[in-house]
Amino acid sequence: MLELDAVHSYYGDSHILQGVSFTVQEGEVVCLLGRNGAGKTTTILTVMGYITPRSGTVRYQGQAIAGLAPYQVARRGVGFVPQERGIFPSLTVRENLTVFSRQPGSALQAAGQAVKGASAPRAPWTLERVYKVFPRLHERERNLGFQLSGGEQQMLSIARALMLNPDLLVLDEPSEGLAPMIVNEIVTVLRGLKNEGLAILLVEQNLHTALALADRHHVMNKGEILFSGTSQDLERNEDVKRRYLAV
Amino acid sequence: MSTLQIEDLYRSFGSLVVTQHVNLSIGAGERHVIIGPNGAGKTSLINQIGGQLRPGSGRILLDGVNIIGQAPEQVLRSGIARTFQKNNLFFNLSVIENLRLAVQARRGNGLQCFRPARSLTAIMSRAESILAQVKLDANGSRAVRELSYGEQRQLEVGLALAGDPKVLLLDEPTSGMSPAETAGMIELVRSLPRELTVVMIEHDMHVVFSLADRITVLYYGEVLATGTPQEIQDNERVREIYLGARH
Amino acid sequence: MDIYLAQLMNGLVYGMLLFLTAAGLSLIFGLMNVVSLAHGSFFMLGAYLAFAVVRETGNYWLALLISPCLTVLVGLVVERFFMRRLYRRGHLDQVLLTFGFTFVFFDAVRSIWGSDIRKLAPPVSLEGSIALVGGMFSTYRLFLLAFGALLALILWAVMEKSRLGAMVRAGVDDSQMAAGLGANIPALFSGVFGAGVALAAIGGVVAAPVLGLYPGMDGDILIPSFIVIVIGGMGSLRGAFVGTLLVGIADAFGKAYVPALSLFLIYLLMAVFLLVRPQGLFGIKGGVAPAGMVVAARAALSATLRVKVIAALVLLALACYPLLVPDYQRTLVSEIFVFAIFAMSLDLLLGYTGLPSFGHAGFFGLGAYTVIVLGALFGLNGWTGVLIAVPLTALAAALIGFFCVRTSGITFLMLTLAFSQLLYSIAFKWRDVTGGSDGIGIPDRPNIFGWSLSEPIVMYYVTFGFCLLCYVGLRRLIASPLGHAFIGIRENESRMRAIGYSTGLYKLLSFTIGGALAGLAGGLYALFNGFVSPEVLHWSASGDILIMVMLGGAGTLLGPVLGSAIFLLMKNLVSSYNDHWMMIIGIIFIACVMFFPGGVWGILSSRIAGRKPDSPPRPGTTPAEGIASGDKAPTGAAPGASMTVDGAAR
Repeated sequence: MLELDAVHSYYGDSHILQGVSFTVQEGEVVCLLGRNGAGKTTTILTVMGYITPRSGTVRYQGQAIAGLAPYQVARRGVGFVPQERGIFPSLTVRENLTVFSRQPGSALQAAGQAVKGASAPRAPWTLERVYKVFPRLHERERNLGFQLSGGEQQMLSIARALMLNPDLLVLDEPSEGLAPMIVNEIVTVLRGLKNEGLAILLVEQNLHTALALADRHHVMNKGEILFSGTSQDLERNEDVKRRYLAV
Repeated sequence: MSTLQIEDLYRSFGSLVVTQHVNLSIGAGERHVIIGPNGAGKTSLINQIGGQLRPGSGRILLDGVNIIGQAPEQVLRSGIARTFQKNNLFFNLSVIENLRLAVQARRGNGLQCFRPARSLTAIMSRAESILAQVKLDANGSRAVRELSYGEQRQLEVGLALAGDPKVLLLDEPTSGMSPAETAGMIELVRSLPRELTVVMIEHDMHVVFSLADRITVLYYGEVLATGTPQEIQDNERVREIYLGARH
Repeated sequence: MDIYLAQLMNGLVYGMLLFLTAAGLSLIFGLMNVVSLAHGSFFMLGAYLAFAVVRETGNYWLALLISPCLTVLVGLVVERFFMRRLYRRGHLDQVLLTFGFTFVFFDAVRSIWGSDIRKLAPPVSLEGSIALVGGMFSTYRLFLLAFGALLALILWAVMEKSRLGAMVRAGVDDSQMAAGLGANIPALFSGVFGAGVALAAIGGVVAAPVLGLYPGMDGDILIPSFIVIVIGGMGSLRGAFVGTLLVGIADAFGKAYVPALSLFLIYLLMAVFLLVRPQGLFGIKGGVAPAGMVVAARAALSATLRVKVIAALVLLALACYPLLVPDYQRTLVSEIFVFAIFAMSLDLLLGYTGLPSFGHAGFFGLGAYTVIVLGALFGLNGWTGVLIAVPLTALAAALIGFFCVRTSGITFLMLTLAFSQLLYSIAFKWRDVTGGSDGIGIPDRPNIFGWSLSEPIVMYYVTFGFCLLCYVGLRRLIASPLGHAFIGIRENESRMRAIGYSTGLYKLLSFTIGGALAGLAGGLYALFNGFVSPEVLHWSASGDILIMVMLGGAGTLLGPVLGSAIFLLMKNLVSSYNDHWMMIIGIIFIACVMFFPGGVWGILSSRIAGRKPDSPPRPGTTPAEGIASGDKAPTGAAPGASMTVDGAAR
């Protein structure tokens, strides 16, 4: 459903992505791995429309989306969880969840046409359902965004993306800086989403989390993908792990 | 007496505690590396030492004098210079102009307004010697924004060195660098005068173990362990929580 | 008791009117990071359109409906077709763009409805007064209070309780993130801008029966609104509300009990707030990110022979010029020299230190008034006057700067504007000394080496000499370590602090030097003109000089000189053939801001060096870092490295 082909992106004059190509299939979890500065976040920002690639194509549900504004990409059914979580500090937890929430299926209208075979019927995300998955957020419903701890912010950021009822979830380092217990909780949630058939594009530095979730992995270095393979391939490849993942 | 002594330092953002009663004692000439997962409070700690962030409570002593409450410029004049995790330079000025600005601040020529800056030979020659020290001699007249990312990292260190510090704070000096540039940075830190105290945040374990006299592991704003590289490597909790998570 | 109540009532009514403009201004600022100087114009437009509708139909209520709708349409055109194109540039460009529009609207209103004060009667149903808690109150004023309170309540409910309001607040918090969740930010910007304009226009309609209608009512509501925002905090509705009530009541009671100090009271209030709470009562963005300052140093060009030859030829031409032309042209060029000094002094702040002052005319006017007042009241020689004026303005600049340099970006801009308006009010009110709105003059000009300055040719060489002196002096200053420190602050203030500069001190120094030079320019203007009136201090005079700097090219020294020449020649030419010179200047200025971001000198200097002009910033490359670094404002174009002056000879 997501397809990048020979994408080149720049920050100002510096050439960050140097021909990145990969795909995410329906219901699949794909992980981008690599060190700081490898180009993982830039890839995600390019998918989301924050960066317009200078060349190459980005297709979502078969349509070219490179050059669209972030809000247009989001409205086509992509839920975004950025690295800094992007919680709106002066909105309550509840408002954070509802402010941009969308009904399931609205993505199709935004794309202007029905896409064949897309969105297998998944249970729609509502406030109740989100609160059931993240009881902590229910307790803090009336708190303002800036009053949350790091782990709570991460949960809220994921829950907020789910409230868009996306067909593809894009997460940038969801386990970053969180206590192991909270990481486990988030991994459990994400695995549940995967079992439901939601496609996920994940950026990770933590190999454990990546192996626990993803079907396929792409290891990046200096704006290029140097290794692609399944979890087993990656686990076996000591060379890649040592050279690019600092393991 | 230790050169830099941190006593019971505490700081929080709302309910998020970034520095939990940290105690550290760093001797003269020591190469002290702070490690810890993202979000452990490493940069917050450096920001509090550098005067960019005001601690909630506790003391920071430089040669026995409490520097808490000093503005960044006062901290520098007290003898602590720092670099930044994200390149924070005068991007539109040339490399040598960047260094000259930093040198003249330290030499107290900042208020001089009757002679052209270029004619102050003492300042010029000091700027040029730092230029050579950070291996940018070939790039003196180029605009900083035209440098590669790694060269900009080198200039970060140069700007801090121009402050003639007793203590040098390096915030992830090798982040985003290629292996060759990383080797150059290790070389550069090794070449610094032995009496200069260096406190450094670093992710790359190769860099950490090449340079560190002692290592502090921060986790959730708390000091998990402090000790020699050997002690840290042997520390069970560190292996479990930090190093282990990466293996 | 009666009087007390009546004053309270007056204060509340004025506060309500202020609230309607300040709320919109604050909302727009919070979301878009833009201070719209045209906001007062929309207030004025709303009032005049209502006046027109009432004259046609006789129905006030219809006017209250139609006029804001029409004004919003105008506002949306301004937003959609002009401001939106500048979102990727620094704030200052946008502020200046809206300043251009104040000219256009002012001229439009004046030419359609004339300059006389007009009255709009309150609706018949609200005439008369009502007895209430021991006093008689005008029905219309009571209505105003209720209406304003109702609007405030609706606004609050929409912002705090509705999903739309939550979207706006989310956009204020983090517009990049909101975009990533499906918020159409450009549409949201338009909507908020439109709503802000609607509030201002409604304010204009309901204010008209109380305050009357006149061209210039735009500025009279804009400046207090700024003070309200400084007191209440940027982007905070609650702050705007509390701020307006404070300012309104302080103003009313000040006028009643200490009329001599009434003007100062709200400024005093502002100064106190700045010292105690620089981020305002409810500020969400205390220190706005330093305006990614605008125009950086021009590209360094090597000292070619060509440049030197051109410079020598221009100097020679300027030296011979007065021998060949009539007095009229000598006078015109003398005026240009005076304003060139003024423009260069502003450029030291704006272009070199990154301090966007919108109140620089205050120092110019102070210099001019010092010379004239000392001459007229004490018979002091003009030169002695200038000698006193310069240190005096330096002192004033240091004092005002003390408050202003604590802030940056838009807050700095609004503060400098407010302080210069304070000086304007003093000149306006202190009739015994300044002659009030009539102005004041000196009987004759001083001599220099036996020649009288009343001779245009003598004046020409004197102003020429001073202009040259200032140019050379500033050039040296900028090449000195101090000048480099100024440039460093413009480029990256936080790093300057980290390498050991007390940037506040340096900014104050720049502000003081710039103020003193503006005072010199003002003093020369006094000798040149022999007469001064409050107009030289008016906020639009500060805008004019900003135009000259930006037109020519900020961050260069010859740019402002060129800009003042173009501005004054244009004004002279257009005003002698056409009554609508303000409109034309406004339009030309809007065009310049939109299409020549580097100023005329920027283009010219690259031509002289035989280079292509710097290309404008590529669209689509900047905003990505917003998410990556949390840094919202994409910095403006920054063509060219190095600390050279004008890119000319080293």
